Amino acid sequence: MSDYKRLHPLAILFNVFNLFKSSFYFLFTIIVLSIGDGFILYTLLGLSVLTIVFAVIGFLIWRRFEYSVSSDQIHIKQGLLIRKDRYISKHRIQSIDLTQSIFHRPLGLTRVDVETAGSDKKVDAALSAVQLSEGKWIQNVMKSRANVGQDASIDHHESVQRPNRNITNKELFIAGSTSGSVGVILGLIGLLFSQIENIIPEKFYSMTTTWFLSQAIETIILIALVIVVLLWLLGILGTFIKYGQFQITRYDNELFITRGLLEKKQMTIPLKRIQAVGIEEGLTRQPFGLATIYVVIAGGEIGQTADAHTLLFPIIRKSKVQNFLNEILLEYNHFPSDMVNVPKRSIPYYMVRVSILPVILFVVSYIFYPQLLWMFFIIFSIAWLLGIANYRNSSYGINGRYLAIQLRRLSKETVLVPRRRVQSIENKQHVLHRKQALGQVIVSLLSKQSGSHLTVKELEQDDINKMLDWLSKY
Amino acid sequence: MRQPPKQRIAMGAIKAWRLKALILLIIPVVITGIVMVLTFIFDFIPYLVSILLIVITVVDAIVSPFLIPKLRWRRWRYEILDEEIYVQHGVLVVSQTLIPMVRVQHVDTKQGPILKNYQLATLTITTAATTHEIPALPEKEAADLRDLISDLARVGQDDV
Repeated sequence: MSDYKRLHPLAILFNVFNLFKSSFYFLFTIIVLSIGDGFILYTLLGLSVLTIVFAVIGFLIWRRFEYSVSSDQIHIKQGLLIRKDRYISKHRIQSIDLTQSIFHRPLGLTRVDVETAGSDKKVDAALSAVQLSEGKWIQNVMKSRANVGQDASIDHHESVQRPNRNITNKELFIAGSTSGSVGVILGLIGLLFSQIENIIPEKFYSMTTTWFLSQAIETIILIALVIVVLLWLLGILGTFIKYGQFQITRYDNELFITRGLLEKKQMTIPLKRIQAVGIEEGLTRQPFGLATIYVVIAGGEIGQTADAHTLLFPIIRKSKVQNFLNEILLEYNHFPSDMVNVPKRSIPYYMVRVSILPVILFVVSYIFYPQLLWMFFIIFSIAWLLGIANYRNSSYGINGRYLAIQLRRLSKETVLVPRRRVQSIENKQHVLHRKQALGQVIVSLLSKQSGSHLTVKELEQDDINKMLDWLSKY
Repeated sequence: MRQPPKQRIAMGAIKAWRLKALILLIIPVVITGIVMVLTFIFDFIPYLVSILLIVITVVDAIVSPFLIPKLRWRRWRYEILDEEIYVQHGVLVVSQTLIPMVRVQHVDTKQGPILKNYQLATLTITTAATTHEIPALPEKEAADLRDLISDLARVGQDDV
């Protein structure tokens, strides 16, 4: 057994930051309220006292956090008032990620996230700041084929001649410009604006509005265009920062991914942990024949709420997916060549489903804003187009031990699951379905959020039976 | 639908579900009662609300204890094979589920006061991603099945 180690003192800073983050909503309310009432001085005083208190607590948390890595497990002792001892056995570890944020990099440190299966994030371990060499050492020790005792100089990058793929600047640019993040950022700004609206002085607000409304319609359109282009560029920049220097390398039993310009991330994905491989074609990417490729793994990635999947490559031509899998992940290069679509008689179900929301909106607006009704011509057309797309994309295919499910949840997704990764298959039918010999099939997989369910609606009864039989042949 | 599973659950399930439904009937009855009293006190609540609630309660009193348990029981089937568990249930929406035996993580039996009254128990089968229940098996059978499944699941178990 090795001895217990502490984190780098930089962790104190992170602790303090986390304390502030967890009390953010509480503080935010008080600050906003006090600014309105002219208690700014007291607020500032209170904040500085709070900072000192948090600094002390952060220091104590750091003091009491100790970890030890031995050949078969990680042991973590922590807790200020309640002491917690946690042992994570090597066999239960899904992956170990190293993340270097801009705070870590000047000091040569890294954050280590140890993921285990299961939805409870608190079960996973995070070492918020250790030396990079230490992080790599932990990664090496905890790997399935660990060479315990060897020093940290065994670096992934030194053993060349492994199949790997780097992202080029051109690919990054394409990925960024088709990421569709314009919409997301616009939404975020809107949200932010609605939050800070109260803080902006009334006079300033009304002045801006009058100026804005007094402009010619051309100017307004121009301003809007400039904003959209700016946001688009921002999205590209974001992609460059997030996926810059993306590299994926295939080792015998695992995939190794590094990415990030400012925040460097290293991920190890043991092949054994991969539950399924998916190809996602976003709305903005599908028209260009572009896609992203991801894996479904089991394990709650800490602090990564938005990403449900782990990307294998941020952008790739649909036609090149085969090549990519051949090179990097041959085990999953089994996408069936012909997919079986849902039958024609299921079209009404698909159309009704996409129409529900517009109809509700229509009724509501008919009551309150009758003058906006013309908009529904557009809304319904979009909804029905989506319905047709949903119908056309819903399909499945069986290729030996592999099942492929294709469906659309805004983005078109094709997921390949090996038989031994299927947790269960369910066939659901309501009364009308039974009369028409249609059914809804739900394939359950293990994923980060405790389970992911792939649903194909209104599939032919015979096809569902084929899927069930396929699983039965276990 | 696929050929349904062979085994049925215990007949006692109907009685147990009926009892449960009758007990749960308290909720709509109490709500209706309260609303009626409030309507009596305050003028602004229309009488129509009370009438509607009474109708709903009466329908509920007929359907959930006397109609649904029978239909549910008739549909409920299960089958434990060497390599998989096959379950069918549902009244309006029928669902058939196939669970590979090696995916089973653990099996429990559980028994609430109502089921205990009829010497029945519920078998819960959990995989890493889903949970499935076979309700209302005779106590002895539930325990046997639990042990059987846990034995079968142990064979060929590879990690998550």
